Amino acid sequence: MKGVLVKDLYIARSNILVTIVSLVVLGFGLSFLLETSALLVLAPVAATTAAFISITSDAASKWNKNVITMPVSREQIIGEKFLFYILLAVLGMFTALVPCVVIACLGADVTLFSLCLYGSIGMSATLLAGGISLPCAYLFDPEKSQIVFMMSFMASTGIITGLVLLINFIFPVKEHILFSFHIVLVIAVIWFVISYKIAVKVYRKRDIT
Amino acid sequence: MTNAMRVSGLTKTYQDFVLDHVSFTVPGGAIVGLIGENGAGKSTTINAALGLIQKEDGVVSFLDREELDGDIKEQIGVVFDGSNYPEILSPRKLNRVLKNIYRTWDERVYFSLMKQFSLPADKRIKQFSRGMKMKLAICAAFSHHCRLLILDEATSGLDPVVRDDILDMLLDFVQDEGHSILLSSHITSDLEKIADYIVFIHAGKVVFEKPKDELTDQYGIIKCGAAQFDALDHSDIISYRKMDYEWQILVSDREAMQKKYPKALVVPATIDEIMLLYVKGEK
Repeated sequence: MKGVLVKDLYIARSNILVTIVSLVVLGFGLSFLLETSALLVLAPVAATTAAFISITSDAASKWNKNVITMPVSREQIIGEKFLFYILLAVLGMFTALVPCVVIACLGADVTLFSLCLYGSIGMSATLLAGGISLPCAYLFDPEKSQIVFMMSFMASTGIITGLVLLINFIFPVKEHILFSFHIVLVIAVIWFVISYKIAVKVYRKRDIT
Repeated sequence: MTNAMRVSGLTKTYQDFVLDHVSFTVPGGAIVGLIGENGAGKSTTINAALGLIQKEDGVVSFLDREELDGDIKEQIGVVFDGSNYPEILSPRKLNRVLKNIYRTWDERVYFSLMKQFSLPADKRIKQFSRGMKMKLAICAAFSHHCRLLILDEATSGLDPVVRDDILDMLLDFVQDEGHSILLSSHITSDLEKIADYIVFIHAGKVVFEKPKDELTDQYGIIKCGAAQFDALDHSDIISYRKMDYEWQILVSDREAMQKKYPKALVVPATIDEIMLLYVKGEK
């Protein structure tokens, strides 16, 4: 699995570098307009686009056909892509933290509350979107999966809104805002794990030609 | 090792095509040519054997083991039509990828083969010609010390010089008696040069599996007119074809036929001609 991850890092390297630089620049730019920590909502989502660049590249070079003949199982192929996706999301998150920390050191008001809140929202959106789009990348052709990829981010915001409204039935979200979004994050993590299991099950029986 | 690969009753059904109980063996130390026209089922056979597509029936064993696990995959090198490596990578980066996939990866062998075949290590694969991509794929297969090499139409679309280079690489590989090759191709002249056995697939079925020497040394074509054709014993005929000015009759023992029909013109048959007469001829 390590080799496949190395391959994806090579493919996505330039994209990752562009994302990191953009997020840092955007973070400092945003600090003049609004809370820099709001970047944590966008950062993991933006960083995971590299995962789809690697999926598109795999399809173009028919790498998936080749790698199955190597000592790598289908479970490992799917597992690596999900792991790569999470690594990119975490990388995006840490990158967005850099301007937040720098600006906080310069005396700006960056609270732990806002970091946790926006971080939870960003990671939830990323995991929910990945849970939709990653299995679809192995079900559909590259064109369709790219459309699903774009739609999945819209869907994830809708799901988050729905979940928050649902939680609001149980207790008032406004009074427990951080706890509410932590519940959303836990649900997103569970959804991502279930999505991985589904993707493995689908891919195990899929003909690769 | 008796057999490097054994396929028995391999079956796969598509809407418009059936791979119908395909069986053949790749003996240890041998080169087996899998021939057949486009769409005959060569790639489907290889894909089903390698687990790329789900087979409906049949048993496939590699190196005397039925389970295609990581240990067995370490010992099998596969080269498809096209390099199938990410084209953004250079061979040097590909080395870093593959050494983290194969436990048996030997980068010394890899770079020495790259040098031997004049392949640049730092140029992106997308800048390689088709022949260079094929050589790279074969170098990669050799670099994890595979014992069985499977090539699916790997020489198609290559010029004769590059094809000859690749055939030399394959002949070098089988100098070690523990190494075997399954080579699928519709370029039968390549197989005539290097194959020990020929497996002929037509319309999803194995038509024959024979030593190449038996085909080239014993098979023949009787070229005759209508009167001579009518006089032939039909049990001697494998298949026949009526051409513009002559009849062509495929026979399995040309020397015996020459003795039996001394006035007939019996010529050796190439694998191409044998394939054509099987596919297009009547029985």
